[in-house]
Amino acid sequence: MKQPILSVRDLHYVYGNGQAGLDGVNLDINEGEKIAVIGSNGAGKSTFFLNVNGVLKAERGEIIYRGTTITRKNLKELRKNIGIVFQDADNQIIASTVRAEVGFGPMNLKLPKEEVIKRVDEALTYMNILDFKDRPPHYLSGGEKKKVSIADIIAMKSEIIIFDEPTVALDPLNAEMLEEVLEKLSREEKTMLISTHDVDFAYRWAERIIVFCQGKIIADGSPLEIFQNEEVLKQSNLKQPMLLNVYESLVQKQLVADEKKYPRSIEEFQKMIQQLS
Amino acid sequence: MNEMMLLFLCGLLAAVFLLAEVRQHNHAHEGTHHRHKIGHKHGEGFVIDMHAYASKISHWNPSFKVILAIVTLVLCIALNNPCVSLAVLIVMAYLTMVKGGLSVSEYLSVMMIPIVFILLGTLAIAIEFSYQPIGQYNLHCGFFYVYTSQDKLKEMIFLILKVFAAVSALQMMTLSTPSSEIISVMRKAHVPTLIIELMNIIYRYIFILLDVYSKMKNSADSRQGYCDFRTSCYTFGGVAGNMLIVSLKKANVYYDAMESRCYDGEMVFLEEEKKVAAGQIIAAAIFVVVLLMLWWFTK
Repeated sequence: MKQPILSVRDLHYVYGNGQAGLDGVNLDINEGEKIAVIGSNGAGKSTFFLNVNGVLKAERGEIIYRGTTITRKNLKELRKNIGIVFQDADNQIIASTVRAEVGFGPMNLKLPKEEVIKRVDEALTYMNILDFKDRPPHYLSGGEKKKVSIADIIAMKSEIIIFDEPTVALDPLNAEMLEEVLEKLSREEKTMLISTHDVDFAYRWAERIIVFCQGKIIADGSPLEIFQNEEVLKQSNLKQPMLLNVYESLVQKQLVADEKKYPRSIEEFQKMIQQLS
Repeated sequence: MNEMMLLFLCGLLAAVFLLAEVRQHNHAHEGTHHRHKIGHKHGEGFVIDMHAYASKISHWNPSFKVILAIVTLVLCIALNNPCVSLAVLIVMAYLTMVKGGLSVSEYLSVMMIPIVFILLGTLAIAIEFSYQPIGQYNLHCGFFYVYTSQDKLKEMIFLILKVFAAVSALQMMTLSTPSSEIISVMRKAHVPTLIIELMNIIYRYIFILLDVYSKMKNSADSRQGYCDFRTSCYTFGGVAGNMLIVSLKKANVYYDAMESRCYDGEMVFLEEEKKVAAGQIIAAAIFVVVLLMLWWFTK
């Protein structure tokens, strides 16, 4: 078996007010996995991400990146290889031009200037926003800011990219754009973790789903396993994805043969319906 | 008398130039629309910021623009000569409007911001009060007289000219150079890092906090928070207190976001290298020499 790219062992984190944020989290993440992290508000998803990135310091437990345990000394290595796209782009964008903003990460990596410029251009081209280069972030729209905040992380060439609720506050068109970017990234074998409340999106996109509840991981498995587990869904205030629901109703009414071929996207569903008639 | 003639001539030239510019601009408007429009989002207060990004000379080297503006400003004040002032006024207007592509009405509206201060300040120099009807011109106001003289009036006009010239030099800089670039010039001038980083963050934060403020204000307004003066005061206090808490929270989140991108205590931004054209330096040098010569021949 391959060695996991990132392992988390028995991670405990306590907030400043004494409340437990993470309560013994164990997790192995393999290279190239597409993971959706779900759970109700305050379940510890964002805290987990910040811990994995080394921004918050855990009370107890260890983080192992590619076989090396992370200590204070090689923390930077961890941050370099794990990038977070924050939920609110306005909380992430720090510089006053798009160029400087996307260059902020690479500059902090102390790369030579030519390399930084190259990476900025690459990342902006990747996100299709090369003509925004000289614009200030305060005259960009919400969707454009989101693109910039993703370009920020792409410019750092992180191996693992974490998206903290990326679809929130995006209009359908921009959400579609985001899914295209995710598709593009997964073709490049990037490991991705996405926290979301959108179960339909998680069901459609993810290969693996991790469910957080009160600082613990209560379930970890394929989307089907998770969404067919009533107890987990109830515990974490989640609903079944629409498509799964529809498929199961169809099977129940014996309109569709029970072949366990669960459609994951509308396209797959339409194909299935077409084969029926 | 000679001096007055020269001034008059210069004024006439300026007027003609302005008119020509107005017409040219109108023509340009008929054909194509604004190429550089970024969009009005934040209202009038940020017009200058917006103009700086839209200016056609924003690709000029920022250090060059800042140095040119400061040298001009110093010459303007040190030489204290109306002809120099007029020349500066004309050249700076030319740079901002013709080279920078700013429309006349927008330029005038920006230039008129300090007019009240200037008029009030200079009026005090020109007029004086007395109980007797003295001076070249006087005005009887009940039991006292307001009087002035030609010399005083001339002094006042020259002073206004000087102030406007100085303002126009600085406006040339601010209307064509985005704040981030002005800050980078200061960094090159070895202003302490702490101040530079503060300026960078404050500039970015102004817009974020304004957004937050307008959202809070609107939501308070929609709940009748500004229905009368008393309530308005309460609401204002509440919004201000809330802003403090929000900004503290935001600062925390910001720091996390910066740390996750390997921030380690030193903030360095990527800046674009903008080359100075040799022609620009030569033109600037000629301009300074002309100013000095103007001063020499008219002093």
